[in-house]
Amino acid sequence: MPRDSDSRRRLGRNLRLASLLACAGLVLSFPGLAPNPYILSVGVIVANYAVLSTAWNFVGGFTGYISLGHGALFGLGAYGTGLLITKAGLPSFVALFIAAALVALLMVPVGFAALRVRGASFVIVSIALVLILLLVFQSWASFTGGSRGLVIPRPFADLTRPEHHRVFFFLFAGLLAVALLTWWLVDRSRFGMGLKAIREDEDKAQALGIPTFTYKLIMFVVSATFTALGGGLYALWFGDLDPVFQFSILTGAYMVLMALLGGVRHLFGPLLGALIVGCALEYFKLEYGDTPLHLVATGLLLGMVVLFMPDGVIPALANLSARFSGPAERSIRDVTAAELLESNRREAEQQEVR
Amino acid sequence: MAARTERQAGMHGLETVELTKSFGGVTALDTATVAFQHGKVNALIGPNGSGKTTFFNCVTGMIKPDSGRATYRGFDITGKAPHTIARAGIGRSFQLCRVFPRMTVLDNLLAAVRPGSLKAQLTSSRSREEMERARGWLKRMGIDHLERAEARNLSWGQQKLLELAGVMMGEPETILLDEPAGGVNPALIGRIVTLVRQLNDEGRTFLIVEHNMDLVMSLSDHVVVFDRGRPIAEGPPSMIKSDRRVLEAYLGV
Amino acid sequence: MPSGALLFQSVILGVLLGGLYALLAAGLTLYFGIMRVVMIAHSAFLILAAYLAWAFHRETGLDPLLSLAVTVPLFFGAGVAMQRLLLTRLRPATLTMMSVLLTFSIALVIEGMLGYVFTGTQRRIQLGYSGASLEFFGARVAVVKLIAFALAAAAMLALYLLMMRSRFGQALRATIQHKEAAQLIGIDTDRVAGYGFGLGLATAAVGGTALALDATIYPSLHWHWIGPLMAIIVVGGLGSVPGAAMAAMVLGMLQSLLQIPFGTTWAQTVFYVALFATLAVRPQGFFGGRLAQRF
Repeated sequence: MPRDSDSRRRLGRNLRLASLLACAGLVLSFPGLAPNPYILSVGVIVANYAVLSTAWNFVGGFTGYISLGHGALFGLGAYGTGLLITKAGLPSFVALFIAAALVALLMVPVGFAALRVRGASFVIVSIALVLILLLVFQSWASFTGGSRGLVIPRPFADLTRPEHHRVFFFLFAGLLAVALLTWWLVDRSRFGMGLKAIREDEDKAQALGIPTFTYKLIMFVVSATFTALGGGLYALWFGDLDPVFQFSILTGAYMVLMALLGGVRHLFGPLLGALIVGCALEYFKLEYGDTPLHLVATGLLLGMVVLFMPDGVIPALANLSARFSGPAERSIRDVTAAELLESNRREAEQQEVR
Repeated sequence: MAARTERQAGMHGLETVELTKSFGGVTALDTATVAFQHGKVNALIGPNGSGKTTFFNCVTGMIKPDSGRATYRGFDITGKAPHTIARAGIGRSFQLCRVFPRMTVLDNLLAAVRPGSLKAQLTSSRSREEMERARGWLKRMGIDHLERAEARNLSWGQQKLLELAGVMMGEPETILLDEPAGGVNPALIGRIVTLVRQLNDEGRTFLIVEHNMDLVMSLSDHVVVFDRGRPIAEGPPSMIKSDRRVLEAYLGV
Repeated sequence: MPSGALLFQSVILGVLLGGLYALLAAGLTLYFGIMRVVMIAHSAFLILAAYLAWAFHRETGLDPLLSLAVTVPLFFGAGVAMQRLLLTRLRPATLTMMSVLLTFSIALVIEGMLGYVFTGTQRRIQLGYSGASLEFFGARVAVVKLIAFALAAAAMLALYLLMMRSRFGQALRATIQHKEAAQLIGIDTDRVAGYGFGLGLATAAVGGTALALDATIYPSLHWHWIGPLMAIIVVGGLGSVPGAAMAAMVLGMLQSLLQIPFGTTWAQTVFYVALFATLAVRPQGFFGGRLAQRF
């Protein structure tokens, strides 16, 4: 009955709103609940991952193009911010925004090469981007500090460590909120509809009049901006950069894994993935130290997600719950040939009458 | 309705001049020059390998021709991108029916809406007006009860109707159909024929690439026959049916 | 202006380098041609083969080239297994993207295992003839480089003969050109695709062993190879084996020549410049001919 499904929908919406507020409350109170500064710093790291994976998802989720090079954008944001502070003497947060703007600008010609054709070329370019930047930043030691690293002065010099972590936790959470809001706005807009059409079938989207290249480019630049902001904020928080870590394929791999695991088609998918993978990563680092087995574990997990849960954890759970909520709305009444013939006949009669 | 079609009859529609395309050593289109009749139902027929599909793809922007020109209503569309051609007023269906598989039927149609302004781009895709319009098309195709189903769960015939509805959402002036009767049961063919006639009565031009001769003969006003990359005959169906050149092309006599 | 001898030497080295690139790029572009798969793990297997050659030499003291007898069939089998067991599980609609992620995860696993088993210490094979070099017309060429080139050239010849003259090669080329058409004339495209993958990985085995003769290897080395190799196959035209070979020779030559003014590290950037230029100007590649499409 319509009234039942209406009230069910309203209940669902209220539940979602309530749980959203509850989660927001949890996030805001986390620094107060954290038992020690170490846990607080883990919170900052996870929040950073959440920003990065959500930023990645602007491209991965909407256009369906997989970028393995977002680590490059993270590194560029970090180094950009760091260099603007140390070499140009800019204040911390001004440097942050200018660096992100520069990265966005730089990604326009990159996007032009990467997005003119289809996904295969895009992936190749994204990997190439990380590799070439790693090369450049390691070799140009005079400018970037090379393998010696780049030290960035903290923006709020007179804070204690726990307070420093607390402030940055809220900063990352704020950035995440902006990213999520942007994602949500795109998702429900006509622009977003066009993007999703590209994801489903790019040729068909073009045939319907969607300017696919422009759309893809816009999303790529938006994604790059948020990633660079995340990188810059990380630089301000962590204070010490090294090309090997900043331009690491592994960072990009983590972003993909988190978004994929959580579900690329969902607003909170990357956040969920960041929570799961981020905490797991930190736990492993604590227990087993930094060994090459990280790579094995990441690889295996990514492989399993791709093979068995390519839509992520959320749809897998949603499927489970759908099994309990009743099949009534799911069955499709197929129009049989007989029914079609009958309606054709009726229409023909109507035509004749006219 | 008829008056409008007559007014259009004098206008230029989709035309090509010496359109040529080769793939490696094979000439698929050989200086094809043809003018389709605006306001009518045109059909493009020809044996396999005659270049119909290449012609179709060149004219819809999927392939760039090597030389020659294609124009629509006087507007040059040679080598333009598919979305530019779509926005010029030409809609097309695909031979292997393409819909957006993991979107709902309704969303498939909403995706075809062309946002006019920046503001329209950024606001919600689910406006009442557009949803009503989409539902209207779904009802006309007879698949309105499937509104919330995912497109990939539809039967082949239902997907064909969905594809057509999606094309119509863009309010095209000219519609290019690539083998609309392919793999479809006779009852559904009947429905498609009725729809094409209705839409043509409402002033839309059609160009149908087809193998099904009954469909072509009963539906079209103007038939163009391709062989070896160029048109060899054109005219009303009755004339084409008995044209010697056409028979030779098909039978290789 | 560099001396004639130096220039000549660079040209020779460029040819030798190009030959090795050609073999490796041929394998990489083969996977794409067969299944539209961007096989990122190709270079990881390359390094794995290099490690196996090194380990073989360390354990048995025999010439590492002999390890080919084991690694080539092993990698062939691995290729077939990968195609049949893993790649066929992916949904066709998102095959290219998901295969990137899947092969990427395989590369991570390989790198991780290599780091775990062999540790991150850099390894190098020391042979009796490691230091020897030949001289002709003023150019000094290391013997190991010549052997590596000879190996790569022999493998390319075998690949050419296989693809052009054998029944299987014909079936493989048909599957690459048009899968549906190949099926219609009775080719078991699934089986052919599997063998094609095996062939691709077999070339990685040969290439890796050749590499081990001359290079210092470490677990993350594969990232230094996948970039240039991917650039080569794009410049050559995705899916075209002859295209990849030609692009490899051209870019290998350029890299070698650019080392004179710019040094080894910066000369590597020529691949990335070529990649961006190709995609911006002619995305279907320059040497691919009829086969190359815009991917």
